[in-house]
Amino acid sequence: MIELSKIKAGQKVVVSEVKGDNRFLSRITSIGLTIGCEIKMLYNEKKLPLLFYGRDTVVALNRKESENVLVEVIA
Amino acid sequence: MTATLTNQPTIALLGQPNSGKSTLFNGLTGARQRVGNWPGKTVEKKEGHYDRNGLRYRVVDLPGSYSLSANSEEEIITRDYIASGQADVVCILADSSQLSRSLFMLADYAGMECPAILLLNLMDIAESQGKSVDAEKLEKKLGIPIVPFVAADRKKYDVFYAAVERALDEKKLVNADSLLENFHTIENGVFEKLLELLPNEGLESYSAHWLAIKLIEGDIAILEKIKSTLSEDNYRQIQSILSSIKNGALHTGGCKFKWVDELLSDTFVKKQERPLLSKFDRLATHRRFGKPLAILIILLGLVASFIPAAPIMFAGGLIPKLGEPIANALSAISAPQMLTDFINHVILNTLYFAVAMIGFVFGVNLVFGFLEEIGYMARVSYVFDGTMAKLGLQGKAVMPLVVSFGCTIGGAAGTRVIDSWAQRVLTIALAWVVPCAATWAIVPVLSSLFFGAWAPLIIVAIFLVAGIHMMITAKVFGSKLIRDEDRAGLIMELPPYHKPRWKALFRSIFVRTWDILSRALKVILIVSTVFWLLTYSASGSPDKTLLYRFGRAIEPATIIFGFTWQTFLAYLASMLSKEAALGVLGTLYLGAGTLFSATVGSGGEMAAGLSSVLLTSLTPPTALAFIFAVTFNAPCLMAITSTYQETRSLKWTLRILGYYFATSLILAFLAYHIASLIF
Repeated sequence: MIELSKIKAGQKVVVSEVKGDNRFLSRITSIGLTIGCEIKMLYNEKKLPLLFYGRDTVVALNRKESENVLVEVIA
Repeated sequence: MTATLTNQPTIALLGQPNSGKSTLFNGLTGARQRVGNWPGKTVEKKEGHYDRNGLRYRVVDLPGSYSLSANSEEEIITRDYIASGQADVVCILADSSQLSRSLFMLADYAGMECPAILLLNLMDIAESQGKSVDAEKLEKKLGIPIVPFVAADRKKYDVFYAAVERALDEKKLVNADSLLENFHTIENGVFEKLLELLPNEGLESYSAHWLAIKLIEGDIAILEKIKSTLSEDNYRQIQSILSSIKNGALHTGGCKFKWVDELLSDTFVKKQERPLLSKFDRLATHRRFGKPLAILIILLGLVASFIPAAPIMFAGGLIPKLGEPIANALSAISAPQMLTDFINHVILNTLYFAVAMIGFVFGVNLVFGFLEEIGYMARVSYVFDGTMAKLGLQGKAVMPLVVSFGCTIGGAAGTRVIDSWAQRVLTIALAWVVPCAATWAIVPVLSSLFFGAWAPLIIVAIFLVAGIHMMITAKVFGSKLIRDEDRAGLIMELPPYHKPRWKALFRSIFVRTWDILSRALKVILIVSTVFWLLTYSASGSPDKTLLYRFGRAIEPATIIFGFTWQTFLAYLASMLSKEAALGVLGTLYLGAGTLFSATVGSGGEMAAGLSSVLLTSLTPPTALAFIFAVTFNAPCLMAITSTYQETRSLKWTLRILGYYFATSLILAFLAYHIASLIF
């Protein structure tokens, strides 16, 4: 398992664990990120939030929060 | 169900941001809508109606929310409203171009015991992306009317009306059988255990299973709500079950999306993969070019705002010209002079102020509403997230702050694109710091008059102070407005770019503008009347007015802050209009014109002869105190009105106003005393 923030643009991953308080979990699930969901990293540049694609949606996620999302690389 | 009794069915609109909810609301109700606050809240409540086949349908626009959790005031209002039974049918909107995520709201809704219909909105965009949905098949699975829909196209609303009538007739609830099966798989059978302890019939319109799921998600508000319906023993057992659950929202979220995937597995087809980020998006989100591009587009937007605004503002400018004919007509019928003065000064100027303000607000709303509508503002939010986070703001806040260099009214109006109320208030509080264009009509003139070649240094000092001011203000207001747990970082979708729906956009902006105009008229009328009474004298000379006497009386106090009584009155007038600062000085030092017309009618020019009088009457320290006080004072009456409009809270508007009054006095004090040491 690796933190989502360490994934390079173009890599595909599956979410395996999400940490955080209820508030964060509820917010992040409402935007489509749950365990087992497949996402593709679109853009990962220093100082900018991550951009990834999952469930038909381009999602922007703050870098700090993305350290709470653990993933397995599949491609 | 009170609504049914009065024979006016109530439809509540529910949807995530970007689902097209406002477009549908405006399309359905047109001008037949009222904007107010939810009782006791600062959240905007929009209500309207449409008539069909002799029946009046009430439409309630529920606040935008991502789910039915308790993460924000908006979400709590939304679910409490549905649970209260005031709606006869809930219309859930989903974005068809992002269906598998967008149906989360439906999954979160399932279990609410209120009939519903599902609108698959933005179907035209989905189709252009090669996506299609088998609505009939989906309807069989869900049991409620499903309507492929384009909210921006009013001509095709018949399908919507028909679905609403069907839902009212059949009163069908969302079929959640297979969703419940999923919930039963949550570890340790907590779902079943909770169901056994909860009242079978649920609570209000919340079914027992909906309550159980919210409890698993750690929803404290729901736990509080059901406490009274439970025996002490059951309550204790529930608490002990809940304490064993970790990451509940993750489990239930997984179940909900599994259900959505099952629903779509044989009803949804996606033909081709589209490129995920367009060429423009690569630029718009670029780490180096994204920000300059955003600033450039915002500046262009500011300029573009004046195109629709200019004719309206020009028309507003003609209003005071009616003064003479009206005065002549009134004196012909020998009306009292005071009445003529009142109409000429207060009524006409109120109209002039309000129309000029509305012209600009209209322009800003149109241009930035357009950028929001096509999806660009989300990109601005993305590139400026880190920078704005330092002030406790979200990325989009950069737009109102940049617009405020032009005009604070526009800055406050522009905060509309920010979806959280607290963020909106904080952004406005900070936008007031930004020196607006009117400031630059005054400050350079006074600076060069008193400080000659050193004037640029004053400008630099103003920018430095503005920077520090912002950081302090962000702390002061941020700590009150935004709780620590709300300071979560950015989690946001970047919606696909849409073509603008001009008709729908214009419709919503006209309705809004009208609403603002009617409120602004009231506020401006009241304030103008009070100010007029304070500055009224039968002869028109300033030294007989209440304001003059007040100014003279408190001069011993104002001199501590570096004000003469003249500069203090000019400073007070600058709260109504920044340009008034020079006009009022002219009236007081030269005795020309009335205080009232100097305040509302002044274009910010220096009256002839004023500069030499000022040079002999003011010392450099008092001039500097005045420059700082006016620059960092409340921007103008219309900006205050606009702030009230967007915060929807008199309390917070007055707090911001009081804060700026106090801080500008402190800055004047500091400028005066520091300058006194130098000069």
